[in-house]
Amino acid sequence: MQLRHVDAGSCNGCEIEIAQAFAPVCDAGRFGARLVASPRHADGLLVTGVVTKNMAVPLQMTFEATPRPRVVVACGDCAVNGGLFAGAYGVAGSVHDVVPVDVEIPGCPPEPSEITEALRRLTGR
Amino acid sequence: MSTAAYFIGLGAASAAALLGAVLPARRRLLAAAVLSAAACLAALVGAGDVLVSGHAFSVHTAQVLPLTGVDLSLDPLGALFVAATAVVGLAVSCYSVGYGVHATPSRIATATLPAFLATLLLVPAAASVATFMVAWELMALTSLLALLTDHRRRRETRDAAQWYAAMTHIGAAAILLGLVLLAAHAGGQSFAAIAAHRRQLSLPLTSVVFVLTLFGFASKAGAVPLHVWLPRAHPEAPSPVSALMSGAMVNLGVYGILRVGEDLLGGGEMWWWLVVAALGVVSAVFGALHAAASTDTKRLLAYSTVDNVGLVLIGVGAAGALAAGGQQALAGLVLLAALFHLVNHALFKGCLFLGAGALQHAAGTRDLDRLGGLARKMPATAIFFGAGALSISALPGLNGFASEWLLFEGLLQGFASRSAVTVAALLAGVATLAITGGLTATAFVKALGVGFLGQPRSEGAGAAREVGPSMLIGMGFLAGGCVVLGIVPGVVLPVIDRATTAGLVAGASRAIRPGLGLALASVHSEIDPGLLVGGLLVALVVAWGAVRLAPRSAELRSPRRAAAWGCGRDLQTARMEITATSFAEPLQRVFADVLRPDHDLEVTHTAESRYFPEAITFHQRVDDAVERVVYRPVMAAVAWWGHLARRVPNGSVHRYLAFGFATLVLVLVVLA
Repeated sequence: MQLRHVDAGSCNGCEIEIAQAFAPVCDAGRFGARLVASPRHADGLLVTGVVTKNMAVPLQMTFEATPRPRVVVACGDCAVNGGLFAGAYGVAGSVHDVVPVDVEIPGCPPEPSEITEALRRLTGR
Repeated sequence: MSTAAYFIGLGAASAAALLGAVLPARRRLLAAAVLSAAACLAALVGAGDVLVSGHAFSVHTAQVLPLTGVDLSLDPLGALFVAATAVVGLAVSCYSVGYGVHATPSRIATATLPAFLATLLLVPAAASVATFMVAWELMALTSLLALLTDHRRRRETRDAAQWYAAMTHIGAAAILLGLVLLAAHAGGQSFAAIAAHRRQLSLPLTSVVFVLTLFGFASKAGAVPLHVWLPRAHPEAPSPVSALMSGAMVNLGVYGILRVGEDLLGGGEMWWWLVVAALGVVSAVFGALHAAASTDTKRLLAYSTVDNVGLVLIGVGAAGALAAGGQQALAGLVLLAALFHLVNHALFKGCLFLGAGALQHAAGTRDLDRLGGLARKMPATAIFFGAGALSISALPGLNGFASEWLLFEGLLQGFASRSAVTVAALLAGVATLAITGGLTATAFVKALGVGFLGQPRSEGAGAAREVGPSMLIGMGFLAGGCVVLGIVPGVVLPVIDRATTAGLVAGASRAIRPGLGLALASVHSEIDPGLLVGGLLVALVVAWGAVRLAPRSAELRSPRRAAAWGCGRDLQTARMEITATSFAEPLQRVFADVLRPDHDLEVTHTAESRYFPEAITFHQRVDDAVERVVYRPVMAAVAWWGHLARRVPNGSVHRYLAFGFATLVLVLVVLA
């Protein structure tokens, strides 16, 4: 499972936790999950943060650029339902308002172990 | 038959020049083109007959030139060069119809192209010193006139023409000096007489003659450091002329070296040929580096000509050195490879120059940084230019591969030689071939990728249209030649072999076994590009069939079209694409010591604060280092001398009378 990470307007809390999920303690990589540099190489998107107006179109374009079949993982409360920033100025909505979401990881921010667990459900290992 | 065909060719080319000068504007272009195409066909038949039969012809007329008469003789070596010129000339004649269709060229421009062609066909047949020098000078003058075609519109053309005129005449003076010296001591000015008397000539004399003529011929061939006219003249000349210059005229420099060194002087000393090979090594590396750094299409091609002439000179030099060392069979193989590469270079460089002309015609610029996206607008030109670019990068299945493979094989076989100097020279040659191969590929990935792919970078490139049929036929003819010689090189190699044995006096045996592929006669080594291409095609068909027939999901059966990935940006503009300059930048940085790029960065700040720039301008030039280091100081010294000399005649009659008196006294003193 190769994922392209898209920061759609995050506070960077989720990014720190994602980095930890791929660091030696949890090491999501050993379960077959990988972060890649281009949606062309990816099986899906790992989206963090509430979707701001500036990032709505790029998120959509990244989604379009990912080959099918593809999954979208919404990571963190903001990505799932807007969280703290729901309805705030400059916000287009949560991720499922822009692209269809397959997996949700709640938490503000979700812990590395929770992220790893959700990715294991995708990789099946 | 060969005599008649050859002279019909010469006559038709002269008639084309005459008609181009006298016919009204509407007719002259077509008439000149048709006649020069016929001239090329006839010359090709004549030269082909000499090559296939191996029988030379010679003609002497006392009427044309006073005192000496004209001696013409076409042996297989000369016939090879006539044939190569005729093939390029045929394509150029066809191409020139479409090239001149929008702005009908002037009478002189229409007439000089066939005249230039006629002199190119004449030079390899010259068989005496006087005839040769007359033909050589006619070639220099007609090519100079042809180069000046656009002088009204562009100032740079005059500058280029001055450089060309100076270089070519310095070279011609050296050749004249060398040949006259030779004729005076050999007791006759016909080439046959010189060759018959060469045993009576002393070694210092022949060495002086060889060095003098080598200087002249190398300046015509464009070998470093005498190449400076090439990157100026080729871009400024109209494309048919630059195709002829690069595809046919520089060859004659190599012809001269072979004719004088091997035929007239009989091979001579080993160091002569090591000098030739050293010139080749320097030219090849320097040319390839500059080609990789150039952003002007035709300048790139001009430097690539320097590179390829360097490769040919490496082969010629290695062959001469091996022959002088007693390894005749191997020398024959290396010379065969060099001459084959020369023929191939005529084909693909002719094709590329015509392609560059089509680009300039359609997009209005030669600057790669302002082209782009032309593959979609000019598909046929893109295919032909691509075939030329792949050939010059020596990809298998195209002719550049065949000759470079032969050259590699020949040079590598020579490592068994006992002479340490020869082995060192061959090693340098092999290393040069390897590095220039990489650099050439870089240069042409740049030309093809930046020029034809992506989005157009200027309005001119955006509005480009495919060029007319005559230009396409001209390019396609040469591109087809590249493909045919690449797949079945065996069809021309026996013919070139005959020219090789004529070029090497001591008589090399056959270097190539008969067949369609490349099979060396002396050692067990062979490759068949035809089989290679055939196998590749079969593999492609099988892979394609497998993909088509394999069971697939519904999703894969209906492919989805998506926009190119641009990192999620809304707007993709041509300014975001890689340019020729940026593509070459890393290489330029690595080879900064040789290329010496000039950077100029100017930042103007806003009046309020130095932290905010108002405008940034960046200029970059890659000048020729040889020109800067060698030529500029010489030119400055000459200019200084000229200024000094101007003080002597100051207009005073008394002073002039004093000069006259002093001279008279001096003469009397000397005579007394």
